[in-house]
Amino acid sequence: MYVTTDVDTDIEVTGRSSLDEFWVTFRRDRLALIGFVVLVGLALLALAGKAFTEWWVLFDPAVVRLSDRLLPPLTEASSVLSADKRPAFGIYFLGTDDLGRDVFARMLQGSFVSLSIGFVAVGIAMSIGVALGGISGYYGESKFLGLSVDNLIMRFTDVMLCFPTFFLILTVVALLPPSIYNIMIVIGLTGWMTTARFVRAEFLSLKEQDFVLAAKAMGLPERRIIFFHMLPNAMAPVLVTATVSVATAILTESALSFLGFGVQPPDATWGNILSDGKNFIFDAPWLFFIPGSAILVVVLAFNLVGEGMRESLNPKLRRR
Amino acid sequence: MGQFILRSLIQRLALLVVVSVIAHAVVHIAPGEPSEVDPTNPRMKPEDVAKIRAAFHLDEPLHRQYVYWMRDLVSGNLRSFKDGQPVLPKIWNRFLNSLPLFLAATLLIWTLSFPAGIHAAIRRGSGFDRASTFVAYALISIPGFFFAYLLILGVVNAFSVPVIGMRTFGMEDAPISFRAMDRLWHLTIPAMISAFSGVALLSRYVRSQMIEVVSNDYVRTARAKGLEEETVIYRHALRNALLPFVTMFGLMLPGLIGGSVIIEQIFAWPGIGRLGYEAILARDFPLILTINFFAATLTLAGTFLSDVLYAFADPRVRLNS
Amino acid sequence: MNVRTLLLLAPLLLLAGLVQAYFWVPKYDQQTRATPSRLETFIEGESADAKILNPVLHADSQSSRIVTLVFDGLLDLDQNLNLRGRLATDWKTTEEVFIVVDESRGFPDGAAVTPERIKARILRAKTSGRFPELTATVRSVEVLEGGAVVPLRFKSNTTDLGQPAAPRIRLPPRVRLELSRVEPRILDLLAPVLGREYGAGFDPARFLLSPDTPNEELRRALNAQLPTVEHNPIIEFRLRRNVRFHDGHPFTAEDVKFTYEAIMEPKNLSPRTSDFEPIKSVEAVEPHLVRVTYKRLFSPAVNVWTMGVLPAHLLRPEVIAKEAEERGLSGADDSFGLRDSSFNRAPVGTGPFRFEEWQGDELIKLTRNEDYWDGPPIYRNYYFRVIPDPLTKELEFRSGAIDSYQLQPFQVARFESSSRYRTLSGLGSGYTYIGYNNRLPLFSDPRVRRALGMAIDVDEIIRYVMYGEGERTTGPYPKQTEWYDHGVAPLPYDPKGALRILESLGWHKNDEGLLEKDGKIFEFNLITNHGNLIRKAILSVVQNSWRRLGVKVNTQVFEWAVFLEDFVNPGRFDAVILGWLMGVDPDLFQIWHSTQAGRNQLNFVGYENPDADRIIEALRREYDRDKQVKLSRELHRIIATDQPYTFLYAPATTRALDRKIVMVSEAGDISPPQASEGGDVFFHFNRWRKLEAAPDF
Repeated sequence: MYVTTDVDTDIEVTGRSSLDEFWVTFRRDRLALIGFVVLVGLALLALAGKAFTEWWVLFDPAVVRLSDRLLPPLTEASSVLSADKRPAFGIYFLGTDDLGRDVFARMLQGSFVSLSIGFVAVGIAMSIGVALGGISGYYGESKFLGLSVDNLIMRFTDVMLCFPTFFLILTVVALLPPSIYNIMIVIGLTGWMTTARFVRAEFLSLKEQDFVLAAKAMGLPERRIIFFHMLPNAMAPVLVTATVSVATAILTESALSFLGFGVQPPDATWGNILSDGKNFIFDAPWLFFIPGSAILVVVLAFNLVGEGMRESLNPKLRRR
Repeated sequence: MGQFILRSLIQRLALLVVVSVIAHAVVHIAPGEPSEVDPTNPRMKPEDVAKIRAAFHLDEPLHRQYVYWMRDLVSGNLRSFKDGQPVLPKIWNRFLNSLPLFLAATLLIWTLSFPAGIHAAIRRGSGFDRASTFVAYALISIPGFFFAYLLILGVVNAFSVPVIGMRTFGMEDAPISFRAMDRLWHLTIPAMISAFSGVALLSRYVRSQMIEVVSNDYVRTARAKGLEEETVIYRHALRNALLPFVTMFGLMLPGLIGGSVIIEQIFAWPGIGRLGYEAILARDFPLILTINFFAATLTLAGTFLSDVLYAFADPRVRLNS
Repeated sequence: MNVRTLLLLAPLLLLAGLVQAYFWVPKYDQQTRATPSRLETFIEGESADAKILNPVLHADSQSSRIVTLVFDGLLDLDQNLNLRGRLATDWKTTEEVFIVVDESRGFPDGAAVTPERIKARILRAKTSGRFPELTATVRSVEVLEGGAVVPLRFKSNTTDLGQPAAPRIRLPPRVRLELSRVEPRILDLLAPVLGREYGAGFDPARFLLSPDTPNEELRRALNAQLPTVEHNPIIEFRLRRNVRFHDGHPFTAEDVKFTYEAIMEPKNLSPRTSDFEPIKSVEAVEPHLVRVTYKRLFSPAVNVWTMGVLPAHLLRPEVIAKEAEERGLSGADDSFGLRDSSFNRAPVGTGPFRFEEWQGDELIKLTRNEDYWDGPPIYRNYYFRVIPDPLTKELEFRSGAIDSYQLQPFQVARFESSSRYRTLSGLGSGYTYIGYNNRLPLFSDPRVRRALGMAIDVDEIIRYVMYGEGERTTGPYPKQTEWYDHGVAPLPYDPKGALRILESLGWHKNDEGLLEKDGKIFEFNLITNHGNLIRKAILSVVQNSWRRLGVKVNTQVFEWAVFLEDFVNPGRFDAVILGWLMGVDPDLFQIWHSTQAGRNQLNFVGYENPDADRIIEALRREYDRDKQVKLSRELHRIIATDQPYTFLYAPATTRALDRKIVMVSEAGDISPPQASEGGDVFFHFNRWRKLEAAPDF
């Protein structure tokens, strides 16, 4: 039941919304605001996760304590453990998994990994989308091999849209060596098409706008026009898509993990904690419910923030 | 009209060729080869592995392999690496298995989304609207397999009834009514799970579409004429809001393959998504490629269908396309 | 009806229609409702589909499960893993020996050696009664005239030999002996006649026609083709009469011969070719007598005849060609062969069940073979049902929709104290190990491998990761065979001792707590294949144990094809977690012999020990069971000392079973189903049946 949230079809941005106006509308949307708060919290958590599991190892997600496996949350560590195996504060906040690893430490480590998968993948997708869309919109008429650049790029976009995305990702990830970078890159390479399309449309319309024509007339260099005048005005819908895409990327990673092709140990992600946990659902339900709900909450937050942003940016809907 | 159809048909065929070339390249460049051999069998000799390689043309250059593939696909001779069966009948069988699931889910999506979306649009800002927005986003945000397990566990624990697979086995001698209902039941849970996120998305779309239409002048005119609110909404507004959905019918076709891998895996449903997944695991190149090709064909057929439907419904499209 | 009502009613009706179907579905307690025949049906849950239902071609365990039900072998393994006759009622092993007449040296009494004299002297010794062993062994002697010119069987590494014609030899005169049993030391037996030194000065180069002087390569080929003594072991199978294939066609010796030919046909790409390669010929002597002659001493030979026998009348080349023609493939495709035949998806054998239906990735259905020669099984239908997900498989089992499935170790405890289900367990013939790349300088010292093994608490792994579903193992043989030496003590769990060993080898801990030597830290990659939960868990446990020792281990899990193709086969790995599934014979040539360490070969860790090589070769030539046991145990000890692998455990195969299923004895008593001593849980399957309610045991 993997679904691409292809919801950017109804975005209409004229490029004149000021940040203040946006913020005022956005704040009125309570769900989006809650989502935003959750995301800020998550960002802090991810940083803390990186800090406490790698730089300053307070919670070690790799320690295996077989005698303490499958303990429920808030259990104290058994006293037979040697000192170097004891968890921080002597307690398992979120219980232990089938090998006696501290679930809290793993979730903490996983928060950073999961988020970075989302952000890097979406970063790649957006860069490609914006670049191709921008080139297509701005330099569309120039010829390459007898065909217009616009035509070439858009036909290529069509080709990419023909592939069943998840099936393609699965094929490539299963065939490639399973590294976290491959997963990021593959998700990124298969997610840029809609962005390219609407950035192109945006550029086409911006090109005809007075301020761009004026800038051209003033003889400003092209680079300056593109990066300082047009791109910022096309960025708003890109940000909305990006927000929603991060959510999708996290879900994709968890779906891959379920099939066994997600991020491999020792890197923990919420997706692979969840898919490992499902085997112990009768013995240790927390191994299943904790990562599952965590993913749900975070993806929901991204989606709600995305929705809030879209509504705030959409002048038609704003006219209440 | 005929010219429009012809032109978009030719365009799509050209796209299809490019798609097949890229798919072929991606699959063959990746490392790994058909794992015909059971590695836990100490009796398998390297000579045997080499023989198998040669038999599958794996030693020839890429473009030759592409030509072989296309030739065999068109002539219907293409056979799976894994079991030597012809690929096309195999895909067709699995397609027939996936179809009921797809149809049931689609029916659920389309029948549930409209009442939910319209209701939310009419009562915009109400408790129902906000709650349905939240629930819709929650359904989109939940990892599919997590949700599926929750539902299966709930059903099995509460009613201790089988839900996996296409039917209950060992019922061949039962009356036809039992067997038919048994199949229907096995369809129910997976169809519901695959429908949920679709309902969420589509009802959101219905809602925004209705909101937009309701604010139009002709709706206001209808209201001003003193027509009943219900007539205004369900006759005038809904009819106009329906137009874009015509196109969505076509766009849902590719969901037949892409969205089904995990559901079919969990429910042991012998459909096309699982066929693809098993093919990937076994490096069954002809099958992977052909399923990809089939999916691309479905996507293109879907967009073609929606273009044509739209062109019929809205003549302006033909002029400016 | 207005639009609004319609919009509301449609989904409600649809949902109601779907949900009411619930009331028609059989639950665990009422499986027989509307379907009394459910009790005569056995439904097995499997995680993957079978691939090819042909005993000659299949290579996966799922296909093997179905094939053993549909086909019979000439032999199979009984309760205690000894061979037992099935399609063959009995068999005996004899031998033909060819001894070159070596005229270069005289008899002990000085007389010149001639073929006739050898024959006469052996016969005289046989009848003299002074050599009872010789008398019992040698049945007849015959002189074979030499002189025939034959080409030298020769596989060249270099294409250009610089020779105008292919090398040829003139055969020397030989003496053919028929022996009543296989005697690898025949020259010792004949020593009183031929002398102790017989054959020592024999030079086959004398019989080479062209070229005159052999190079190194030719000499090897000569020695192989013209040994002083050529052993041809012979197995004669007497076949069971009145056995019919499922289509009614009688089973005869021709079917056995055909099965052998099908394996050796290169077009068929059979994975069993190497098992049958030592066979020289298979003859159908009589309709119910088969004689198999081997090219050389090869003691594991008889075990391969447990493989199922194909029906020749359905698969002869002309029948296959006809099938190709009917499917419109004739001419277009010369490669059409057994592998492409529709037989592989609708097999016909002689086994207890006949094939009925196969729906890919869903089910395989078999029905009882009413005239099975060993008496028909009790179950009427057999379903092989594919459910890939372990969790939903368990749920499906609990709801009564499948009768049995293989448990993951962590699932076993859930069924053990249940009133509805039971577990059935047998120790498998496989083992799981950590293999080190012995070629790498890091692992070339056995002491390092031993230290790494000592740092792992294997008992803890068995207890917590395997949930007790396995036994500690110390060597390369299955524990339930005689070849296994139970006297070998497992490595102790002793991390401190391990550290001492490494420190004595020059490793010392650095500031980060990692072992270091000459400025390099002790670091390597440990990999395993995707899809095995236990191996993945062991990966983490072992990584952690070694980290405590001060060894930095990076772990990775690869998908099978990538794992084999990129890492294991080319030998590009440091250490792997893997398992072997062993046969019941003592032959370990492919896994442990030093010549088998090349690319794509099974000794992928590159183990090399001349003593082990010698024993492995000797085992293949030894036919005496007691001597085999002695040799195999010595081999076990050598490998355990060298520790090329850290041997972990032999996993048990445990299945969950509905408690209503019982075993019915010949007398009609019922008892709980049991695995055989050898660990085969389905050994008594034909005696199983399902009752209406669970019995009280």
